[in-house]
Amino acid sequence: MLRLEDITVRYSPNGQAVLDRLNLVAEPGERVALVGPSGAGKTTLLRSINASVSIESGKVSVGEVLVSAVRGRALRQIRSRIAFIAQKHDLVDRLSVYQNVLAGALGRWSTAHGLRFLIWPRTSELDEARDALESVGLAHKLRARTTELSGGEQQRVAIARALVQHPLVLLADEPVASLDPETSAQVLKLLCDLAKSRRITLICSLHQPDLARRYFDRVVRITTGRAVLVPSSLTPSAPRERASVPC
Amino acid sequence: MLGLSRIGAFFHFIGQFFPPELSWHYLSYLGTPIAETLAMAAGSIFVAVFIAIPLSLVIGTRMPGSALLYAALAAIRSIPDLTMAIFCVILVGLGRGAGLVTLIIYYSAAMAKVFGEIFLAADPRPLDALRATGASRISLAAFGLIPLKLSDAFSYGLYELESAMRASVIVGAVGAGGIGTELVGSLNAFEYRRITTLILVLVALIVLVDRFCWLVRRHPAALVVLPPAGIASVIFCWPQLLAVHHAIDTFSKMLPPHLAASEWHRIPALVIQTLEIAAGGTLVAAVLAVIVSPATTRGIAPGFVVMCVRRVLDFARAVPELVWGLLFVTFVVGGPWAGIFALGLHSFGVLGKLFSESLENVPLGPIRALEATGAPRVAVAAFGKYPLAFGPIIVHALFRFEWNVRAATVLGLIGAGGIGEALFDAQEMFFYRQMFAYLIVTCVMVGALDYASRQLRKRYRVSWEAIE
Repeated sequence: MLRLEDITVRYSPNGQAVLDRLNLVAEPGERVALVGPSGAGKTTLLRSINASVSIESGKVSVGEVLVSAVRGRALRQIRSRIAFIAQKHDLVDRLSVYQNVLAGALGRWSTAHGLRFLIWPRTSELDEARDALESVGLAHKLRARTTELSGGEQQRVAIARALVQHPLVLLADEPVASLDPETSAQVLKLLCDLAKSRRITLICSLHQPDLARRYFDRVVRITTGRAVLVPSSLTPSAPRERASVPC
Repeated sequence: MLGLSRIGAFFHFIGQFFPPELSWHYLSYLGTPIAETLAMAAGSIFVAVFIAIPLSLVIGTRMPGSALLYAALAAIRSIPDLTMAIFCVILVGLGRGAGLVTLIIYYSAAMAKVFGEIFLAADPRPLDALRATGASRISLAAFGLIPLKLSDAFSYGLYELESAMRASVIVGAVGAGGIGTELVGSLNAFEYRRITTLILVLVALIVLVDRFCWLVRRHPAALVVLPPAGIASVIFCWPQLLAVHHAIDTFSKMLPPHLAASEWHRIPALVIQTLEIAAGGTLVAAVLAVIVSPATTRGIAPGFVVMCVRRVLDFARAVPELVWGLLFVTFVVGGPWAGIFALGLHSFGVLGKLFSESLENVPLGPIRALEATGAPRVAVAAFGKYPLAFGPIIVHALFRFEWNVRAATVLGLIGAGGIGEALFDAQEMFFYRQMFAYLIVTCVMVGALDYASRQLRKRYRVSWEAIE
């Protein structure tokens, strides 16, 4: 379970809060879409969940772990269970597809294990990569060069890498922003189906409210750092907020 | 026992260099050479910018004759800077005037050529749009090329200022004044402690210029000091005499270039030896630079380690190849190995810096994605930074090889072998016609390599942004 309690983020000490006492709770297997204008704080919210943005006050917890309070090795350990998919350009294009996919395992592997894998991958490891690629429909691209893939395929490789992390939470930051409408729908459907079947909490920021309503359990609108629940929701997410506004 | 006595002798030898001579008498004497070195660098870049910009726009807008101009600039740039300095000494006599004129010619050609390449690499779409409005070539330059590529040209210009600082030491080695002339004098007289002082002064000057360039990159307004400094430098260094008759007389002795049959037969071997020295030096440097690269990159090694190792790189880089070469030849080993170690040490400083910058400048997206998986630092470097920086690292090494071929010819002066040594031997014995013939061979070799590297760059679409 993912729980955000009263989190506040400020980029400069006296500046305006990017996120202002925001609350959000999501169950395993629940799929939450974040919508809202550019600059409203969607990316900041996602990045505060895996602690790549530090929060000024409040609590972020994933399962039993208080993400906002851990450091060093413990932080790396919990991060290895929080997968992150960015808009684009987050694969290492000089590595092959299977190397990119198994980069998702770096959090649980030792450094020596990782280096050995780069030079001498084992069959069991390749099988793991093939399994992950299978679930995104790209098993035949196992040994392809990353640069040979289309935008949609690259995004599916990123999803496969996330699956290798066996994530509790999957964060996706506008994962379809650079894709055409048809591919966008395919990628989102894939993400949502995988989240449901593997009981992963999916938090996904989107620019297209229609896609959000079509595939997600819950749509949360972020405006100037506050979360506002869009009607047709399952659980209230922001108890402090005034009545929500339709988007 | 033999081993012990050798080690003892080695430390005794090193001990002779310490402490550096810091007597007030000597330091106050060094004031003039230091001023000369700084003035040659600042004055030449100041004048060269004014010559280079119009020439580069001729190339950038593809005016008639631009191909010819480009070839002429490439030819000038392929003359080893020491040979150019000797020509200038013939024309304007010994001293800082010769140094200034040498560097003006050399850097005008170098900057015009590279600015031209930068302008040619500008995005064609906005330029086509301007052309479609019926704009003339001059307005094309004013409204298109200059605004599009000013920052690239600017950062290359600063890079040339640093380079001119080193070159102003090098040209001193043939009597063009400044620290270089002092250093050669002290080496010839085995004044160990003064050598140490001069090297320290040299490193300090280069660090000073480096800091100035760093300041200008952050606050371009600091550039206002350059015009007054440039004008003062030009006045300070202005040649005292102009021996036109003497020069014409000497240059006419170089014509026609001539080599005996036996000398012709040696040329392939000489060229190959020069290439070997350059390749050896580049290899030594690249291997060392890759080995230390984890320790020079923020985000892989802890901050204080990065700080310390980078100072070592700064030192290796601050001392020009020729000075490393002079030290090796005088005190350690002569011949091609001196050349390889000299190129290797200086290039190690350069490549070490460039490799660490390449590793730090990889795209953020993939690195963040790897960090988000909870991967440890070393794994992030191995899976992300190194694969992503592989291309730039190879390009830097290849460029360094091209540079080192040029530098290897200059190292001929200290007897490192190759075509450069043949050139300087002929010059020292006043065999001007042979000298001119060797010079042509050198220019053809450097020119061919320059052409090959340009084709390579075009093919892989590498521009100056990737290098800087």
